[in-house]
Amino acid sequence: MNLASLLSKERINLFLKPGKKNKIIEDLVYSLKKDADAELIVSTLQKREELGSTGIGKGIAIPHCRSLAVDKLEIAVGRTTKPISFNAIDKKPVSLIFLIIAPPQDPGNQYLLTLGKIVQIAKEITKKKLIQKPQTPEEFIALINQIEKDLKKRK
Amino acid sequence: MSLDKIEMHLKLLFDLDNLLDDLDEPAYKEIGFKIKDAERRSLIKARSELLLKLPLDIADVYERLKKRYRRAIAPVENDFCFGCFQKLPTQLLTRSKEINTCPNCGRILYWRKK
Ligand SMILES: [Zn+2]
Repeated sequence: MNLASLLSKERINLFLKPGKKNKIIEDLVYSLKKDADAELIVSTLQKREELGSTGIGKGIAIPHCRSLAVDKLEIAVGRTTKPISFNAIDKKPVSLIFLIIAPPQDPGNQYLLTLGKIVQIAKEITKKKLIQKPQTPEEFIALINQIEKDLKKRK
Repeated sequence: MSLDKIEMHLKLLFDLDNLLDDLDEPAYKEIGFKIKDAERRSLIKARSELLLKLPLDIADVYERLKKRYRRAIAPVENDFCFGCFQKLPTQLLTRSKEINTCPNCGRILYWRKK
């Protein structure tokens, strides 16, 4: 499984206007889906955040859930132009957000595998201080691709 | 309660149940997100309250199906029930004015908004 192949340029916004956590999550969901069920996804993501912030530390958050509202794995990426408060585990503000939504039925457990992979890649991004580096969606995808390759080599 | 409202409650209930289920998945635990126990308990409470808001017969069917299959609702894709992967009879192929269940497996059917 390759994360870069699940990303699409149209769903990467590297210049998101900063705002409240819930608003940013909402905006990212609406970038994926605009119908009546988008609200359902937002509610489920909010419930997930209540269980404990998906801000994994050092400026990255990975809100995620399964929802009846989608029929395949959907990923949106947003980077806010200024860090925002996300109640992250290290209490630090967040600027890079990977949003992932999966269908309930999910052959091969693609959702949890992808989620695990994003966490792994996110840790590399912070370790190498690359959050601010990509300036276009293409560069962002290329960066993810490169990190994936490096991680594979290390195994 | 209107059908729309019932559907809305059912969908949220289902999403919350999936959320709670995933917390116990070994692959999820391995990833290492920190989950607060108190919040987890309040989510379980919230899903029970949601269940109580549903008409009794529907709540009953949902709980029975959940026990049997874990996932009580199946989306309809290309005329197939995505719970048991059987083709649905033609009279069921469009959204109707009631909550429908799959004639083969019994799961509650859900037509995704297009
Ligand atoms: Zn079925």
